[in-house]
Formats: sequence, structure tokens, C-alpha cells
Amino acid sequence: MTAGNGSGPAAPAAAPLLELVGVRARYGGIEVLHGVDLAVLSGEVLALLGANGAGKSTTVKVAAGLVRPTAGEVHVAGHDVTGASCNDLARIGVCTIPEGRGIFPNLTVRENLWMATQVAGTLAGAEAAAYERFPKLVERRTQLAGSLSGGEQQMLAMSRALVTDPAVLVLDELSMGLAPIVVQQLYEIVGQVASEGISILVVEQFARAVLGIAHRAAIMVNGEVAHVGTPAELESELSSAYLGGAGERLSGRQG
Amino acid sequence: MNDRIERLEQEAANLKVPSSAKRDGLYQTAGAVAMVAGVVVAFVAYQLSLGKSDDRDVQSLIILAVAMLALAVTGAAVFLRYSLARFLRFWLLRQLYEGQSHIDQIVGALGRPNRAEEREVTTPG
Repeated sequence: MTAGNGSGPAAPAAAPLLELVGVRARYGGIEVLHGVDLAVLSGEVLALLGANGAGKSTTVKVAAGLVRPTAGEVHVAGHDVTGASCNDLARIGVCTIPEGRGIFPNLTVRENLWMATQVAGTLAGAEAAAYERFPKLVERRTQLAGSLSGGEQQMLAMSRALVTDPAVLVLDELSMGLAPIVVQQLYEIVGQVASEGISILVVEQFARAVLGIAHRAAIMVNGEVAHVGTPAELESELSSAYLGGAGERLSGRQG
Repeated sequence: MNDRIERLEQEAANLKVPSSAKRDGLYQTAGAVAMVAGVVVAFVAYQLSLGKSDDRDVQSLIILAVAMLALAVTGAAVFLRYSLARFLRFWLLRQLYEGQSHIDQIVGALGRPNRAEEREVTTPG
């Protein structure tokens, strides 16, 4: 398995740490996932791409234990954990940063980190690791998290997740509401985290931002995984996945 | 990192997964059946007791009626537990979300970093 370009990330080992098998999920009477199969290999960054309403966030919610699938199974390191709660999965090492970051806006940066230490680690250790990775947070440590910029909030969310010593990190829409330069910086850090051996499932609407660090990518269309492959292999599928027929027509014109 | 993966494997194997949604539905149905059956049988037993002249028969039927009422109450509790749990969970999430939005608005209104008060982390113990 190779990345999209020659200088891309190294190939991960081939054992799935997080796997969704034939997952179906519904909200009320509407089925939104129609049999999703997805595997995040050990040490891999897997990007889950797709247009609005494709089912990306629901897939993440199922993987994180926030939505119980109506059919199919969720496996962690080969063990069936279907129906396990989000906190149980976080405790064993499948940590999720939800869309909107999920920080506590009315607590300070330190207090947010302290909350994470209730799962694992100490405040001193959490602070040292967070400030080493994100030096910007040092001067913000006594500031309310809700008053941080979007990028800083995302840094705090990542720091808090990393305190729990995750084996698998699930990121939902990291780039939401952030400037492109900040998104680029954050994905560089995601790449560093991945190089430390943490497997990462990242859901992203803006494909270009994440494909630079992803080993593989999956494209979702209408509640199903339509394509899986390396970023290079999926290059041609992206426009049709996002724009449907219009994308194919545009590609034809450009060709 | 291999240690971490081994630990993940071990912890995933030891994870106790709660009962499935299907089982919740089964409990809900069983609760409803117990509730209805309890009320019906209690009523029938009481009606039958009215036609008995022997005190021992009357007592037996009244005991049965009371036991069935207890079954009906238990059934109602089980039914409510499994039918309302999902709704209440959703309601709680909604409350949390609305509370969070409210806090966001207040924090936004308070202004930017320089106006935030310096606070210290207080850890229990």
C-alpha cells in the first residue's frame, strides 16, 4: 500500500484495528448507511471522503459508539464491540474528536486537559505533552476554551484526545470553519501523530486537505463506500463522488 | 506502539458490550404483555372470587388477584424503562446541546481573551 505521491507516508502494517462490517444505521425510519465495510489498518491514516449527506459522520458515530448500527458489526483489534458505548471505546483506546471539537467552552484550557486526565494520565503530563505539541496553547492555558480561535480549539481537542493514549483516533471534520493555512498546520500535526503509530480515521469534506497525509482513502456515496484505494487511485473518482454527473461532464470537458 | 495494540486487543476482548437494541425491544414487549396480562388475570380472579362461598377459595383468588396486580406494576415498570430510555437519552442530549449553545452565546458576548478571567484548575482531593 502506498500513498498518493512518492514522498507520501510509509505503508502501515496490515492488521485492522478498527473495522466496520456490513454496517447499516438509521435515524427513525430513514436508513442512512446501507452496509458500510471499512477497515482502518494498524498505523494507517484512512481518509473518509464524500459529499454532504453521504453518511460520513454517521459512519464515524457508529465507529465511535455514538450510534448503534441496526445491522452489521464493529470490530476493534478483531473483537466484536458492536453496541459498546462511546466512553467504553474511549477507555480502551478508540478516541473520537467530534464535529465541532467537543471541548468544554466554559472551562479553561487547563481544565479541559484535566477533564481528559480523568480517563488516563496526570494533569502535569497532559500539559507538558499538549504544550510541546502545540506551543500556542501555553499562553492560552488559563483562558476559557470557548474564547480560543477555531484552530486553537481544535489543537486543544487533539491534545485532550491524545492524553487518553489512544490506539485509534477518529477525527470528524477537522477543517470545519477553519482557514486553509490552519487546516494545513493541523493536518501536519495529524501526520506527526500518525507517524507515532496511532491509527487514524479522518472524515473530511475537503478532500485535498487530507489526501496529503492519508495512506488510503474511502469515498462514500449515498450511505455506501463506493471506492477505496490510495489517494492516487482515487484521484479520478473524487469529482464524480462530489458532483455526481456534473463532475463527470466537467472532467470530460477538461479532457 | 505494539504494546499499545496488544493492550487494545486485550481490553477489547474484555469489554462488556451492553444488550442489543433487539433485546431492549424484547424486554419492552415482555413488559407490555405482563402489564396487560396482570390486569386481566387480576380482574378475572377478583370476579371469580365474588361467586365463591367457601372462604378458602375466596382467599386463594384474592391472593392471585393481588399477585397479578404486582405483576402488572412490574410489567409497567419494565415497559416504561425500555420504551422511555431512548426518548429520555435523546431529550438529555438535546438539553446538553442547548445548554452548550447558550454557554457559547454567553462566552461570545463576554468578548475575547483579554477579558476572560484567569482561573486556576481545582482538582478534588
